[in-house]
This record gives sequence, C-alpha cells and structure tokens, in this order.
Amino acid sequence: MTGAYVPHAAGYVDNGGPKVVSSRFVHEDSYTLERSLATGGYEGLRAALARPPADVHAEVRDATLLGRGGAGFPAGVKWGFCPEGVWPRYLVVNGDESEPGTYKDRLLMERDPHQLIEGCLITCYALGLSQCFLYVRGEMALGQERIAAALNEAYAAGYVGRNVLGTDFSVDVTLHWGAGAYIVGEETALIESLEGNRGMPRLKPPYFPAAIGLYGQPTIVNNVETLANVPWILANGAEAYKRMGSETSPGTRLFAVSGHVKRPGVYEVEQGVTTFRDLFYGDGFCQGIRDGHELKMFIPGGGSAPWFFAEHLDLPLEAKEVGAAGSMLGSGAIVVMDETTDAVKACHRMVRFFARESCGKCSPCREGTSWEEKILARILDGHGRPSDIDLLLDVGDNISPGPYPVASHPDEGLDAVPFPPRQTTICPLGPSSVAPITSTIRRFRHEFEAKITRGDGIPVSAAPSGGEAGS
Amino acid sequence: MSDETPPVEIPSVDITVDGETVAARPGELLIDACERTGTYIPRFCHHSRLEPVGMCRMCLVEVDTGRGPALQPSCMLPCTPGMVVDTESERTRKAQDGVLEFLLVNHPLDCPVCDKGGECPLQDQTMAFGPGESRFVEEKRHFEKPIPVNENVHLDRERCILCDRCTRFAGEVAGDQLIHFMDRGGQTQVNTFPEQPFASYFSGNTVQICPVGALTAAPYRFKARPWDLEEVESTSTLDSVGSRISVQSSRDRVLRFQGVDADAVNWGWLSDKERFVFEAYDHADRLATPMLRGDALGNRAPDGDALVAAPWSEALGVAADALSAAPADRLAVLGGARLTNESQYAWAKLAKGVFGTDHVDAQLGDGLPAEVVLGLPRATIDRACTPGGTIVLLGPDPKEELGALFLRLRHAVVHDGATLVELTPRRTGLSAHAAHSLRVLPGGAADAVSAMFGGGSPAGAAGLSAEALAAAGATIAAAVAEGRPVTVLVGRPSLAEAAGPVVDAALALHDHLPEAAFLSLLRRGNVHGALDMGLAPGLLPGRVTLADASGVSSVWPTVPTDRGHDAIGILEAAAAGEVDVLVLLGADVLADVPDRDLAERALANAGTVVAVDLFGTPTVARADVVLPAAAPTEVDGTFTNLEGRVSVVARKVTAPGTARPDWAIAVELADRLGTDLGFGSVDDVLAELAAVSPIHAGITPEALAASVREGVLVEGRTALARPDRTEVPVNDAYGLRLVADRSMYDVGVLVAHSPSLAGLAPGAVAGFEPSDLSRHGLAEGEVVDLIADRGTVQVAVASDPGVARGTVHLRVNQADVDAGRLIDASAPVTGIRVGRR
Amino acid sequence: MGYFRGFAVTFKKMFERRVTTSYPEQKRDKPARLHGRHVLNRYEDGMEKCIGCELCAGVCPANCIYVRGADNPPDDPVSPGERYGFVYEINYLRCIHCDLCVEACPTEAITESKLFEFSFTNRSDAVYTKDELVVDASTGRPQHLPWEDWRPGEDEHTSAWMRATSPSGDATYTGRVSWSGELGHGVRAPEVGQAGGAAASDDGPDDGPDDGEGPA
Repeated sequence: MTGAYVPHAAGYVDNGGPKVVSSRFVHEDSYTLERSLATGGYEGLRAALARPPADVHAEVRDATLLGRGGAGFPAGVKWGFCPEGVWPRYLVVNGDESEPGTYKDRLLMERDPHQLIEGCLITCYALGLSQCFLYVRGEMALGQERIAAALNEAYAAGYVGRNVLGTDFSVDVTLHWGAGAYIVGEETALIESLEGNRGMPRLKPPYFPAAIGLYGQPTIVNNVETLANVPWILANGAEAYKRMGSETSPGTRLFAVSGHVKRPGVYEVEQGVTTFRDLFYGDGFCQGIRDGHELKMFIPGGGSAPWFFAEHLDLPLEAKEVGAAGSMLGSGAIVVMDETTDAVKACHRMVRFFARESCGKCSPCREGTSWEEKILARILDGHGRPSDIDLLLDVGDNISPGPYPVASHPDEGLDAVPFPPRQTTICPLGPSSVAPITSTIRRFRHEFEAKITRGDGIPVSAAPSGGEAGS
Repeated sequence: MSDETPPVEIPSVDITVDGETVAARPGELLIDACERTGTYIPRFCHHSRLEPVGMCRMCLVEVDTGRGPALQPSCMLPCTPGMVVDTESERTRKAQDGVLEFLLVNHPLDCPVCDKGGECPLQDQTMAFGPGESRFVEEKRHFEKPIPVNENVHLDRERCILCDRCTRFAGEVAGDQLIHFMDRGGQTQVNTFPEQPFASYFSGNTVQICPVGALTAAPYRFKARPWDLEEVESTSTLDSVGSRISVQSSRDRVLRFQGVDADAVNWGWLSDKERFVFEAYDHADRLATPMLRGDALGNRAPDGDALVAAPWSEALGVAADALSAAPADRLAVLGGARLTNESQYAWAKLAKGVFGTDHVDAQLGDGLPAEVVLGLPRATIDRACTPGGTIVLLGPDPKEELGALFLRLRHAVVHDGATLVELTPRRTGLSAHAAHSLRVLPGGAADAVSAMFGGGSPAGAAGLSAEALAAAGATIAAAVAEGRPVTVLVGRPSLAEAAGPVVDAALALHDHLPEAAFLSLLRRGNVHGALDMGLAPGLLPGRVTLADASGVSSVWPTVPTDRGHDAIGILEAAAAGEVDVLVLLGADVLADVPDRDLAERALANAGTVVAVDLFGTPTVARADVVLPAAAPTEVDGTFTNLEGRVSVVARKVTAPGTARPDWAIAVELADRLGTDLGFGSVDDVLAELAAVSPIHAGITPEALAASVREGVLVEGRTALARPDRTEVPVNDAYGLRLVADRSMYDVGVLVAHSPSLAGLAPGAVAGFEPSDLSRHGLAEGEVVDLIADRGTVQVAVASDPGVARGTVHLRVNQADVDAGRLIDASAPVTGIRVGRR
Repeated sequence: MGYFRGFAVTFKKMFERRVTTSYPEQKRDKPARLHGRHVLNRYEDGMEKCIGCELCAGVCPANCIYVRGADNPPDDPVSPGERYGFVYEINYLRCIHCDLCVEACPTEAITESKLFEFSFTNRSDAVYTKDELVVDASTGRPQHLPWEDWRPGEDEHTSAWMRATSPSGDATYTGRVSWSGELGHGVRAPEVGQAGGAAASDDGPDDGPDDGEGPA
C-alpha cells in the first residue's frame, strides 16, 4: 500500500487512507455530473432536504467541522453567528487559494466541483439562505471552467435554482472570478472585492462578517475544503465523521506537500493520527527527503505560519497540538526544505511574496513588508550591515509586536515567537511576513551573519574586532 | 436659538485614560473622547468629518477592555464602560514610533520646497512622537514629481502617506470619486483614472485636509511659507452660505483662504470658487481711484468716451450735484449684495432716509420678492439637514450655486437618512440620491405642488404623471405625520422663468405644509443682509415694511411712504427716461440682470449713472461717476447668510489705491448732500442698527465676539405677502421652454478675475432631452438658432437626459453665447423655437 | 628728568612692533570664519543652490531677509527641483551677521564671505538683491561689486553643500546622501562625522575627487 500519483489529478496522491473529499479524484471524469451521481453525488443534499434545516445545522455542528482556510474555527459555530431577523444573508465561498505552496482547493474545484456545489447547497439550506457566491481565484483557469460547467449541469438537472429537487428550497449560486490578489483570501477583503471594490480588508470590529458582511448584510464566509466536507457529513452522519481523526479535530484533511521530498503532492490525511514524520517519510506519503539530504526546516501551514524544524517532526497533523507548539496548520500547505536550502534566501522569498501582495492599506504592512524585503535583498546582495539583523527583528516587532529578541526588549525570551501574532496592522498579512524572519533568525542567525561582509568576503562577525566601530 | 429643546441629560461612559477617569459619550470614538478631555493621540487618517478607516495606525494605543492590554486603533474604537487606556505605555510609544518610521521610510525629505513644510502634521508628529533618526538606508520610492490632477490641485505621490483622506472626501463628501488608490504594496499610490481629471467643484478641500504636502494648490504654490502668513477668521462673502474662512496673507497680500469648521454652517468645507476667489480681490485690475468721464487724452469731459481718474473730492462732487438736482422719485439705487451689513445699512439710510427714494433693490431681477423671502418661516441649514428629515428642493441646483450648502445637504441625504424630493426643471447634483426627482416644466411648479397634495389637474404639471406626483406628496405627508421636519429650499431654478411661478409654488407648499420651514437659495453674496437692511422696495431695516417706520423714523431724516420699484421696475423706468440718477452698488446690470435688452436700454437712457464697484465691468465702463470700493478682505463688518446668521467679516489687507469701504462712501456722499449719517466706524453703524431694529438688538460686537465661529442667528419675519398668482401661458406642442441657470464657473467678474478659475467655465450648449432632439431632427453638436420673442442666439445643441421634455437648457453668463438675449423679464416663461441654419 | 621719562615711552615704542595699520589702504587678515557679506552659491553646472524655502528668512533674528519662491521654469530651470528663489533680498542696515541663515539653509546655498565693511549713501543701496548676492556665473566666486572693497582672501571659503532632495524631481534618480560639487570649488570632502564622511560605514570615503577646500 504505497499509494500512487493519480495521473489526471495533477499532484494528487492516492495514499489508500480514508477519504472524505477526495474520493472521486481517482476517476478521470470525476468533474462531470454523471460520474458524481454514479458515485453518490448529491446524496448528502437529498439527505439534508429530508430533514429540517435546524437538524442539518446541528449535524454539522456536532461533527465539529473545523474551517480549513487557516484559522480553524468550527464551521457549525460560525454559522450560528448571524444576528436574528436580519435578512437577506449570504453564503460566500472563499476559493481564492493563493498562499505559496497550497493547491488543494484548486484540486477540489477542478476534480470535484459538484461536491463543492453540493456543500454550498446544504449550507444554504441549513441556514435558510437563497444566495451563494462562489469566489474563485482569478488564475485558476481550469477550476473556473470546470466549476462553471458543473454549475450549468446542476442548474439543468434541478439541483440548483428554483425549488431544488422539487422542494420549497430555492437557491442561486453566483460565480465570481478574482482579479489576482492574495489578500482577497482574507474574508473581509474577499467581500470588498465581491462588492466590486478594491480588495482591501475591512476594519475590525465587527470581527466576523457574520454580523455585517457582503452589502452590509450577515454573511457566512467558508473555505472550499470546509464546504466540500459537508456532503459527506450529511450522507454519513456526524458520528461517522467524528470516528475519523482526533477528538478535537475530527475528519480528514488535505495537505499539499511541496519542496524537497521524494513525492510532493496533495494527501488526504486523518487529522491527529498522522504525524509530520509519517507524512514526510511514510511509504504511502512523501517517501522521505530527496536523495542524500537531511530535513532542515519546514513550513507546516502556509507562508504565514512560523517555521518548524526536525524536533517538531513527531507532532501530529492536528491544529491544537501544532498551535501549542507555536505554529499553525493554516491552509495546509507544507513546504519542506533540506539542508541545501539557504535560510536567508528562503526567508527572502517568503517575505518578498508578502511585500508584493500587501494591499497597501495600512502603513505597517505596506511600508514594513517592503522594507524587510529590501533589507533581506541587500543582505543577499552582499551589502548587509551588522545592524541589519536586529533591524529586521525590530521592524518585525513594529508590525507584529511581540517578545522578540531585540534590543528594546532584552529581557524577553529568544524562544518566544508569539502565536497567534499580535498586530499593529488591520489584517494578518503584515504579521505573516514576520514569521519567516523570526523563525529563520532564531535558528539560523549564523547564516545571516555569514552573509554580512565588509565587501571582501569576510563576514563582519568573523573580522577582527575594532574594524567596524568607527568614531 | 429659541426653539431648541431643553438640554437633556447626556449619558456618559466612564473610561480610564492614563490613570485618570474621564467621562466619554456613549459611542464616541476613543480618539475623540481623549482629545476632548485633553489627551492628544497622534493621527493622520482620522478626520472628524470623515468616516473612520483606521489606515495609518498612528493612533494605536494600549487598551484593556478586560482581556488584557492590547494595541488598538483609537480612531476605530468606540468607548465602552471600564475601558482602560494607556497612551503613554512603552508599547504604545514603540508602536507609534514604529508607525512614524514606516511612514517616513518612503517620504521624501524635501520639506524645504514643500508648501506644507511648517504646518505639516507629519513634521509636527515626527517631532513629538517619532524616532529621531531613520534606519532606512535603501532608495526611497520614486514617482514623477507633482502631477496636476486638475487645474488647481497638484499631486506629489512621493509625499503621500496614503491616509485615504482625500479619496474619502472625494467619495463620501463630494460624491466625485475621481481619485482612488492604484497598485498595491509599496507601490500603492493615489491617482486619477486615465483621461479623467479630478474635475470636482470641491477639490481644494483635499489640499486642506492632506496631512502631508502630497496635494498642493496651484494658486498657493510656492507663494509663501506658513511662518510668514498672518491669518484672521472671516466669512466668505462669495455666496449666501457665508462659509467661515481663514484669510491668510503675507506682506499685505491675501495668499490663501482656508475653510474653518463652523458646525452650523460649512463644516470646514469650501467650494473651489470660495477658496480661490481671493485671487480676484488681489487682482491688478481692481479699481484704485475714482473716475469720471473724459476724453482719450485723459482730460475731464462730461460727454467723453472714456473714464479718467479723478480725485475723490471731484468725483463725489459730481455725484452729489447730480443727486441733489434730482427729485426723490427719479433716483434709484440698484445692487448692494456685495456689501457688508453695515455698508448696506449706511446705503439704505442714504437712499431711503436721505434721498427719500424707495426705488431701491439689492436683487437684480434674478431673485425672489423680499416680502416672500422674509415672510415665510425661516429654516436653518441644521434644520434642513436633520437626520431623517425631509428636504423639498424647489430651486436651482445647490451644487452649482451654493457649494458648501450642497455638501451639507448631500451629507444629510446620503449619510443621515434625510429624504429629498426635487421639483426642478433639470437634474441636479443631488438627483442621484433623491427619493423623488421630478422634472417640472418652467412655470409648472405650482401646479405640480397642487397635484402632489391631491388638488388641481396633473395635466397642468405637464410632463409629470399623477402617480409620480402623488407618490412624492405621500412621502412628504408621511414625514409630516411622523413629526419629522420638512424643509423647503426655495430659489429661482431658471432665470428664464419669472419669480412669480416659483413664489406661487412656494406659497402652495406653505399652505399645504404649515409646519414646513423655508431656506432661501438666493445666491448672491450678502443678499439676505441686504433684505434685512432694507435694500429692497417697500422694506426698512429689521425686516419691517414702510408702514412700520417707527424704528427708523426718529433717526432718519426722512422715510419714503410709497413702495418703490423693484429692480426690473427701476430698469424699465430708466429705459423710459424716468431715472435721473442711477446708483449701482456693485451691480453689473449688463451681466447680472437676466434680461439683457432691458439692461442695455436702461443704461442708455438713465441720467447720471454712479457706479460703486471693485472692477471696471462693462456696466462700470458706461457709468458717469465711478467710485472704487474695498473688497471683503479689506473691510471690517458683518455678513448675513441665507439662514439669517450674522457673522463677522474681518479686514486683513489694505484696499488698493484710494478705494474705500462702501459705508464710508455713503457717509461722504451724505456729507456732500448736507446730512451727517453719524457714522465714524462700523461699530457706529452696528449700534444704530441695533437701536432701530429690534431683531438686531442682540447683534453687538460683544455678542459676535462671543460666538465668532457660529455667528448669531437673527430671527423674525415680516408679514407674508401674497402676490397675485402668475398666469403661465399654455405651451404649444412644438414650442420649447428655456431653462437658463447658473453654473459654478461662468464669466462673471470675480471668476473672470481669478486666474485659477477663469478657465473652468464650461461654455454654453443648448441641452435638449434626447427625444426632443430627435423630434426636432437635430444632431448633437449642430449649431442652431434659438429664437425667442426677444432675440436669437446661435448655439450648438447637445443631448442631455437630465432636462425635462419640452425644455431647452442653457447656462447663463458663459462666453460666446448670451442667454440673456432671449429673456424677457416681463414674461413669466421664455418660449423658444428652434431655427435650423 | 621727568621730562625724559616721558620721552622714554616714545622711544621704547619706536622699537616695538606697530599695532596700527594705515586703514583702509592696509587691512589686517581676518579670522578664518569671519561673518561678512553673504553670497548665494551655485552648483558646478551653474544652477543656483537657493530653492526659495525661506528658512533663512524665518530664522533671521533681525528680520532682514526677504525671500519668495517660484515654480522653476521646466525648460530653463534656475535651480534643480521644483522651486527656486525668485526674490532674495538682504537688508544690510539690519543684518547682524549672526550666520543663523547659513545654519538654517538646507542646501548650503547661502554662505558668508569675509567682506564686512559696508557704506551706503542711501537706504535702498543697503538692500542687496539676488542679482548682487549670487556668485559669478563663470568663476563661482562672489561678485566684486563696484562699490565694494575686496581684499585677497575675503572671498574664499564660501562653499559647502549637502544634497537631500532628488534633483529636478527625477523619478529615476538614484541619489544618495552625499556632498555635491559647487561652481568654482568642486566637490568638497565631507568633514569627519558628517554623512558620507570618512567615518561612515560602507560607502567608503572616496566618493568624489578630493580637491575641495575641506579641512584636512
């Protein structure tokens, strides 16, 4: 049982484990209504429609379905946040998956759009909504094509639209293509973009768009993978769902592993059972680090997560335990780096991504991320200054105030990368750029110092003392 | 003042700021509560008249709401009970320090050449809260240095700190979202859309609220530095809103007007015309010496073709000789809206109390009868803008004529839930937000009002369906039933329509809605002061009629007994040769009187014309005696705005040459006529006014000084006059009616002498409703003859969906096309036929 | 003897060094940093350094400086950048030569020469305008005006400048904080402790030709 790439589902590895959302990926025509129906598609919807909406909601809440977008908030609880008696309300599906290294939602949309649509319909039914917006990242051309085709099929077959399957329940699903901005993955920015505005996060409070969201109305924003789980829960029951995974994080989860492993790909993994070590080295999974190399570090949950190292390998893939260790599973994008990786370069790559994707709304993120990127670029170009390392940490501290080892907080511990981050910004994008910096400087400060030379190739730190002091 | 509700107990929320308990108001933002109680939190994006955005993050403070201290933007955080705020903690300091460093990372250090340098919040707060030194050694962000976003505003994107103030102002306040954020990350910038300049009447406000020197005004560009400016708070006399301004000068030249936040009036906003008109007052073409008729060689010649400079004594002598030779009923005084209240009172006393004539009118045939304006219940701007109130617009487009009032009204309608019902012949700047926007034919407003409240036949309100009218009426009736205030804005929507039909409609509204208050939209300067001071036929100072002369009779040598002519009557009398001396107080009759033909005949046939003016207008060029007057920045006095609010006009610079304040000219003239007006200063005038007019008894220098920003509201009504109903002729199927209205920028004397504004006049096109255009077989851009009984003009036609069917729209006072040639002041409406060329 | 004692002083003085000079034919050397008549400097390309910022006028305790800026004509700029000094006047009846204007100047446009003897026959002559203050367009040295009495050395050491803004608003400018050259004086070496100076960390001390007049 070693698993194998599924040829038509780019990057998906069928590892033979329990499947909730990727069960149809093995079929080449899994995106068609025909195949979907043949493999139990829309059974969850039928099951849901046979029950009162409150029951459906309760079923999902009982299943403790955790949001898969990053924050890991229970979807069933979030659904209950809408204020009483305020109509209309909307469901918005966040398909703007654009974190470095993540491509699981893309697969879900390309390989099984009907499952996602079914999840939307069940959610709408449970909450009494009649309008759903499906926001798909602008660059996902195939995903857009497949989901549009699937929606047309579903409308034609009577699963979407007026009087779904002959019941009183009517719902419309509207597709919206993004214009290519990472920040729109943030739910309030997504709502702004959907309204036709510039994709910039809204201010908090309100902390959840469930109170004031799209067009000022209560709005539930869920991730693609979260909703893809819903049909299975309705078809098989919350109890069956909770039998998988751990107690606090039931069910399975998709992880997109990339980097220096032998078999990178998307794996559906039981939460809390599998560990990082299993995932990286397991026979049915990534099969180990590429030949002859050792693990140096890995990003456990997308670019905004603090980085992990070899000592974290035995942590289970479960939100709570990873959180306790000081990082997060976030969007499920795992990037593995071996010892040939230059920590400064890797850090720079990640920071550059955030600097480019900053929406420009609030000053610390707009100016801070691009400043950090410039400092890192300067260090890589050989123009670093000895003061730059503390400067990087202090700039990070001004974006995400925390007990970092900086001159202004000498008494605070070196190990304490605060998580979740505190922020001087509006949204977490700015603090996200700080995580790679603090993670790498904490562990690989010597690599930074080695790059800071006096122009003659000799690191400043290795030069005889007194050379740099000046007068 | 009098009808204010008794003070209610305002509940308060106790919060702790830096260890001291202070009382905040429920819902008040933390930053405001702190500032009110004496703790200043630095900010860039926060502006009390704009929605909070929390973008700059400068106002982060450590706040503990029970879950432990955390940094929170105080501009976004409403005060809640028990909140503990530390504005000076180490974390707060570090966060503020960090934000300032971030803002300065890409901010160029060109303060020495920056117009904001010296009055720059970024400079000030860097000094107070910022890091001493930059740790940024990389290249700063570069953009092309100032790019003009419109004719008067330059944008320097390098200096911009992206606080969103200008863009929020443009979208939220002005409704002209023509500037926006572009690009992202470190390259984020504010810019206009390609090929779309920031063409807003209010763009100058963005310069004033910009916390850095990113937006600068071309008229002030490099003119001075803040430390050599002297300022005085005054009132804008450009239009009747009376916006509060700060007049700033250096070396005896006015260099800038800035808006001042008067809560009851303009909220700190100014239209660009109010802001940049100072250029006209400072213009080299200002009249600096008296002039008399002379020949081309500069010699005095009573029948000469030219005007030649003369000493004051000689010019006043010529004027006095003419005045003393003429019988009282052959004397007339026109104009006076430019003057301060004191000058108006002095001239009213001179004209009515010394000359003994009642042929006095400050309006120039473009306003409303004084007894109607003063007789209807008066509203304030605040009442009109009451949240949830109802506004009925029966007049011109406030956006074109009263810019600052437009911004207040727009805020009320867009943000405060006020309901707007429009009865206008053309789409206005507020139509997009109106609950009911009804296009009324010229002359049809009174019928429309009747139909709204279930009377009359809707056929009379041609072009409007009975349903639309009834729906609008129902909206107003519902507001009345719920006790929400209804305010009617009344003015002349078109100069090609006589005042009569508008008055009929206003009176009909008054009859149907006895609780409704009226706000006059008469535009010209201090016209409401002129009405209050008696510069109108049949009226005396203090909003009383000639019959009630008890106030002035003891102080004035004489008081006229019979009501005189209004402006049109005076001009008709002059045209008939019945006026021996015509005094023009800043009245450019050739431009301002709607009926061009009448104005020309009047000037040609009047005896001696005495013009008191700032500029050598075409009218002044035809005067016999020209007396130069001082501009509003050169006189002390008071101003009465459209609410009746009296506020201070302050002198900042000296008048050019020997130009004098208008009241001083009146005193001199009276002296020549053997009467001492008894005024040695403006305070003397004010004292006499307070003595003769009971409603002005509270207008004392002390009262004005005590309420310098908001002014003092003068209340009181005359008996409402009910002129005979104006009969409007029926429009035939092929005839069109002319709608002639003003636009913000025209070729008027002040705009023409303000280099920054002069080029902005849009020019005249004849706007036809699209179906009218095709009905007449006209193509857009085609030049046609517009033929009225009075005359013909040639003008290009344009399709304009904003006009009512059956009307032609033409802007008055534009270059090349003179709409005044079509207008007959004696006709209720102006019919137009279209002639193909 | 008292008679001779009196002469003794005279005789003694005959053999001592004389302290008087026959002023004004002869003048004593002036101290190196004497504050005298101002000059307005130019860059090496002849552009004026003054940007009309009025900081000198703002700081002047005697209120003797009158400056007005104006928009630089793009086709024939007077100074680099957006703004130039359109009016520049110093009233030498008021000036106390305190040098605060030189301290305040962000572009080192105004410096002082060592000419301090002024005499005027009417008040308006005492007001020096920009035409008189600005250095000679070919040599970069103070203009020797017909009524002034210049001696050798009095027009030296009038140079220094530090560039802080991007010239001409050029978006492609890749400038850095450093000294610029000056007409007639070249590039002056930064002094110790100044930006770009010998003590600064990475840019190196040899940023430009060291042919100026900086201190050793």
